[in-house]
Amino acid sequence: MGFLVTTLIFIVVGIIASLCARICCNRGPSANLLHLTLIITATVCCWMMWAIVYLAQMKPLIVPILNETE
Amino acid sequence: MGERVRGGCCPPMDLMRSEPMHLVQVIIPIESAHLTISYLGDLGLIQFKDLNAEKSPFQRTYANQIKRCGEMARKLRFFREQITKAEFSPAVISVTEADLNLDDLEVKLGELEAELVEINANGQKLQRSYNELAEYKLVIQKAGEFFQSALSSAEARQREYASNQSGEESLETPLLSEQEMTTDPSKQVKLGFVTGLVPREKSIAFERILFRATRGNVLLKQAVVDNPVTDPVSGEKVEKNVFVVFFSGERAKNKILKICDAFGANRYPFAEDLGKQAQTINEVSGRLSELKTTIDAGLVHRGNLLQTIGEQFEQWNFLVRREKSIYHTLNMLSIDVTKKCLVAEGWSPIFATKQIQDALHRATQDSNSQVDAIFQVLRTREMPPTYFRTNKFTSAFQEIVDAYGVAKYQEANPGVFTIVTFPFLFAVMFGDWGHGICLLLATLYLIIREKKLSSQKLGDIMEMTFGGRYVILLMALFSIYTGLIYNEFFSVPFELFSRSAYSCRDLSCSEATTVGLIKVRDTYPFGADPVWHSSRSELPFLNSLKMKMSILLGVAQMNLGIILSYFNAIFFANNINIWFQFIPQMIFLNGLFGYLSVLIIIKWCTGSKADLYHVMIYMFLSPTDELGENQLFPGQKITQLVLLLLALISVPWMLLPKPFLLKLQHDRHHGESYAPLPDSEESLQSEPNHDSHGHEEFEFSEIFVHQLIHTIEFVLGAVSNTASYLRLWALSLAHSELSTVFYEKVLLLAWGYNNIIILIVGIIVFIFATVGVLLVMETLSAFLHALRLHWVEFQNKFYEGDGYKFYPYSFALLDYEDE
Repeated sequence: MGFLVTTLIFIVVGIIASLCARICCNRGPSANLLHLTLIITATVCCWMMWAIVYLAQMKPLIVPILNETE
Repeated sequence: MGERVRGGCCPPMDLMRSEPMHLVQVIIPIESAHLTISYLGDLGLIQFKDLNAEKSPFQRTYANQIKRCGEMARKLRFFREQITKAEFSPAVISVTEADLNLDDLEVKLGELEAELVEINANGQKLQRSYNELAEYKLVIQKAGEFFQSALSSAEARQREYASNQSGEESLETPLLSEQEMTTDPSKQVKLGFVTGLVPREKSIAFERILFRATRGNVLLKQAVVDNPVTDPVSGEKVEKNVFVVFFSGERAKNKILKICDAFGANRYPFAEDLGKQAQTINEVSGRLSELKTTIDAGLVHRGNLLQTIGEQFEQWNFLVRREKSIYHTLNMLSIDVTKKCLVAEGWSPIFATKQIQDALHRATQDSNSQVDAIFQVLRTREMPPTYFRTNKFTSAFQEIVDAYGVAKYQEANPGVFTIVTFPFLFAVMFGDWGHGICLLLATLYLIIREKKLSSQKLGDIMEMTFGGRYVILLMALFSIYTGLIYNEFFSVPFELFSRSAYSCRDLSCSEATTVGLIKVRDTYPFGADPVWHSSRSELPFLNSLKMKMSILLGVAQMNLGIILSYFNAIFFANNINIWFQFIPQMIFLNGLFGYLSVLIIIKWCTGSKADLYHVMIYMFLSPTDELGENQLFPGQKITQLVLLLLALISVPWMLLPKPFLLKLQHDRHHGESYAPLPDSEESLQSEPNHDSHGHEEFEFSEIFVHQLIHTIEFVLGAVSNTASYLRLWALSLAHSELSTVFYEKVLLLAWGYNNIIILIVGIIVFIFATVGVLLVMETLSAFLHALRLHWVEFQNKFYEGDGYKFYPYSFALLDYEDE
């Protein structure tokens, strides 16, 4: 799974979550906008965290050196 | 109202802006005033202004009624004291009686209080005489035992003394004998005694003082009473001694009596005659049992009375508090000159207008008033209060923001983003999905028992945890996510998503501990590769990763903050802030730290070995130098030069134009004020009040200094705030290291002994260390650091926070005020 595929999964999950929020708790346009904002923020945060860790391991400058006891 | 034109930048969003408010005036006929205020209190959507601020509480219209309510509240407090003293469980049965009238209640409370006071007084009197009798009985019993011997020895002594004296007298000169003879009879005849009880801790001092005062001419006998005795005066249980003092002479008696009084020693009459003693004991016992039954009957009666009070206590208490608050509110209204109506002014949210009008109408009808209350909206330049309609989920997050400062009226509310970013940043520092699950279970327990817990009174710490249960819920969910990213379950990694991307360089795996493994597969798809854990290069790798992650997250959040300042500027139609604050700030922050973030990402993507510190430092020190091996992309030198130049330009851009433009705006505004006078009477009336607020003196120097401070703060803040985000790295490192220590040095060590007892001890220590240090202390410290990142680093980019909160007059909020 590459970077783009997983990013796409994040986007899809975000869209599904916002649709769920829209259908399950539809409390008028202003509340829906709040829910959408929250879901987008949460998705972006989670995606950023994942992307950072993924990118950092893509072209490793340091490799794991095992401990001698093991 | 003119300056507050609402920009139509974006559709309205819940919680983003505080509710639009208006100042309303209600003119209420005096006969329906009480009912109207009561209905408005039920509604709870209007905050009354105090229109009689200059009057002292005693000068106000309804001072008497408030005094009455205060008196009733005092009686109720007295009842509560009595009920808790009698250790009744305060009955929660709320008997909803038909509307109780305040006057009836006052009479009833008065009667009940008088009755209770009388019962208490009688009970006390009876109890006192009972205790006295009990003491008396003790004295008779104890004193009787040693009385005879003591008496005889005292008499012997007295005789000896007398004979001594007479012997001495015989040696005296005859001239004095006459004088001695006159005093002799009194000395010889009176051999008295006093019996009673003295507190044990005072008995030694008592004895000493007696001895000194009478110069040794007494005989004191004491006997210890085994059980503590109830003192009739204080009603407390005290350890006491029975004493008998034998003495001779009237003066000695007086002295002894005084000493007894001073020591709190109760004296009781005592008959020397044995027959009389027996009789007294019988009498006393009889009276004791009689008193006992009387006291018991009294207690039962009192219990019944308290029971009936306890059943209705809550209802009465609520009624009295409600009435008191109504009169208190009525006192804030100004009374019309004709004394026929009251004028109320207050803030209310615009959406509540209809409800308020309904309540006013209902009050008019129910009180059979002839005239309707008049409701009208006032125009003012005063800053309205800030009111967010929160629910049980969002209120805790809003409180996090409010603890820093209440938002200015209609200012962009950081609470919206705090709902997600706060738990997220917490989780970055608390990433471990094992600990996350523990936290989740704890908070789920609170949420499931929410209904039950919210009606209970909890302890201080518990109350706070319970109030923040939804914050903790999100914190737990995010820490499970970040735990999966960090690949830590109580510091143990799992190969959940795929096999590790690394393996040995050759079949023998000889270089695994020297040169290291080699990446053979695709990058581990989700989170950190499990192979890093407990490898020798774990720390260098994780440190570099988390440090860079902190900067990236920090730059993102600070950018969000500046963007919110853009939305604020649009909303308040403040173009100066967009052009001379938002844009240069964006350029400055992103020209330096946004560029750093881009460099970090490029370095990761290309696997370049460039030294980013070197790049950043020499970007300032010698921007024209060749980058050499530190070059990450072509044209980097030019880009850096441009960025540096932009950043340098943006500083005076932030500093200089805004104060001059404000001055220009002010001058132009001043010119306009020579416009024709508004001719309607209403505006003439309202203008003088509010003018003082509208045209504040324009001090150019002050504005300039303010802008200077603001600019310096932003420029320095850009550096220090970015550095401040490195706490994410530090705390997350501390958390993972601590949990590794507990896992390896406690659990694995105990496992290694192959001994069941050691293993159990190890598990117990591990659990306590995990709960105490990681789940409680680490949660607290990560919470505090997340709090700081929001309050300082995020909110100082856009948040003014100088508003004041909307406190509606509401009966629902009454409970919290008094206690």
